[in-house]
Amino acid sequence: MKRPVLAFPVLAAALAGAVALSLSAGPVPVSLGQVLRALTGGDAGGPSGETAARVVLSLRLPRALLGALVGGALSSSGVAFQALLRNPLADPYILGVSGGAAVGAMTARLLLRGDSFLPLPLCAFLGAAIAASAVFLLARRRSGVSRERLILMGVIVGAFLNALIMMMVALSPPGRIPGAIYWLMGDLSLGTPGRVGMLALYVGGGVGCLFLLSRGMDLLLLGDEAAFQSGLPVEKVKTAVYLTASLLAGSVVAISGLIGFVGLIVPHGARSIVGSGHRRLLPAAFLLGGTFLIVADVLARTAGPSGELPVGAVTALSGAPFFLYLLRRDRGKP
Amino acid sequence: MRDDLLAARGVTFRYGEREVLAGVDLRVGEGEVAILLGPNGAGKSTLLKIFSGLHRPHAGEVTVLGRSPSSYGRREMARILSVAGQDPPLDFPMSVEEYVLLGRFPHHGFFGQATAQDREEVARALAMTSLEGLKTRGLGEISAGERQRAALARAIAQGAKVMLLDEPTAFLDIYHRVAFYEIVTRLSESRGVTALIASHDLSLCAEYGEKIVLLAGGKIRAVGRPGEVLTPGNIFEAFGVAAVCDRNPVTGSVRVTPVRRDRGKDRGGDAREGSGPTTPF
Repeated sequence: MKRPVLAFPVLAAALAGAVALSLSAGPVPVSLGQVLRALTGGDAGGPSGETAARVVLSLRLPRALLGALVGGALSSSGVAFQALLRNPLADPYILGVSGGAAVGAMTARLLLRGDSFLPLPLCAFLGAAIAASAVFLLARRRSGVSRERLILMGVIVGAFLNALIMMMVALSPPGRIPGAIYWLMGDLSLGTPGRVGMLALYVGGGVGCLFLLSRGMDLLLLGDEAAFQSGLPVEKVKTAVYLTASLLAGSVVAISGLIGFVGLIVPHGARSIVGSGHRRLLPAAFLLGGTFLIVADVLARTAGPSGELPVGAVTALSGAPFFLYLLRRDRGKP
Repeated sequence: MRDDLLAARGVTFRYGEREVLAGVDLRVGEGEVAILLGPNGAGKSTLLKIFSGLHRPHAGEVTVLGRSPSSYGRREMARILSVAGQDPPLDFPMSVEEYVLLGRFPHHGFFGQATAQDREEVARALAMTSLEGLKTRGLGEISAGERQRAALARAIAQGAKVMLLDEPTAFLDIYHRVAFYEIVTRLSESRGVTALIASHDLSLCAEYGEKIVLLAGGKIRAVGRPGEVLTPGNIFEAFGVAAVCDRNPVTGSVRVTPVRRDRGKDRGGDAREGSGPTTPF
């Protein structure tokens, strides 16, 4: 197994490229030169240049940063759930964790009127954590947790949560329904600088925690018994990983809704580049996840004939077939 | 030299209603290679899990170096005692070397980098198990026998004084079975490692084991040197199989050969050779 030295520079360059693409692509065409001038605060060169600078700085830059954070956080959360459950098919969306976060965030929105943005991610985290433990407890048998059973329980819990979400949407004040639906489909357009900054705190904290736990996640891949016998305080590490992965998924869902399959596809891609050691895998998955979601968002913004598509639709279009491929490839394994 | 590096006193353990161990007493001394024999389901793995702290006995107690396993910190315990038994993971891409390096966790912990000493121990464990040539291969790309050797290498790299090995030769060919017992003997002689091995290799155990422990029906049926334990009577009582127990003409160790049921009657005299009570057919 090769471990290319250049993996990280290449991944970082890919992310930078995706951000540049995201800043220049859209209904108002902006050249890369104009993007660069806007970012460096250089002379815009006339009124059209000033408009371009405004578009870049106030609309597209927060959106690109939000995409990087959301994609990175979902991928890191996917890496963590996969190690926690020793299941390469785990992902916050498939496990129903994102659905739990959405219910938590919507409950907060319904109960707390006005601009109650601060507690939203915390309520989403609570919803995510409850959904994750429900799925895990339902899937657990004395003999352990089979991967198929885990996914089945994720689907069932997810369906139940979806029903709750639909009820909540129906009960929302009429003016809020279109926004809520759009948010549920996965939306990066809500990236105001304040929200991006706040999400950066949650995501930075969560990813930092996971990075500190990376040796523990390496050992979790051995299975609980072997990890315990290798000196790992298994229950403590699993609890910490589960809470952190739920926090990441929850805080992201609170702001950008349900974006599926990123946490499934990206960790696989990252593993094929840097291997399974989490000290390399986590940063690689974060960079690759940001790149993937920004590119998906550019597609969502530019592919639709009239206006934007939800980015969650684009990720699901590529993710669902990928999931099938993984499921078929792994058939026959215990 | 202490004679109770591992000790069990009156250990009883149940899975639900099913009693697996019913009052087991056992002592393994420092540097000793003890082999745990017994039929499937006799409780060999369970006893190893109790020693490693994974299970707690329902009655009785076990000690490792005179202390209960639960009184140790996790990493402290793993520096004293390593376990090889479960198959390496196959769901995630991991090279043999990366896998063996995980055995060094008790030494470098969560935040430390792998040191030169860690690398050295890994290289030594890979050399001992003849896996140097495969170290960059993925665990999914090697055979079941090679994976079993990788699991042994990880336990060796852990650098513990005590090794618990749960059916470590199940997938190995005769060459690697012999090699396995030679590795354990070498570790015992050169590093003073104490090994408790759950196994089904009756004759090989007699060749390499200093102490044989025969476990059946939740109790220890016999303990002692191979010649004392591996008798037709004990083997029939534990496994329900008639066997000839004679001596290896070259090494003089006990040699156990099962007797075909349909032929044993005609030539029953063979099965009665060796020490111990008469084998009932």
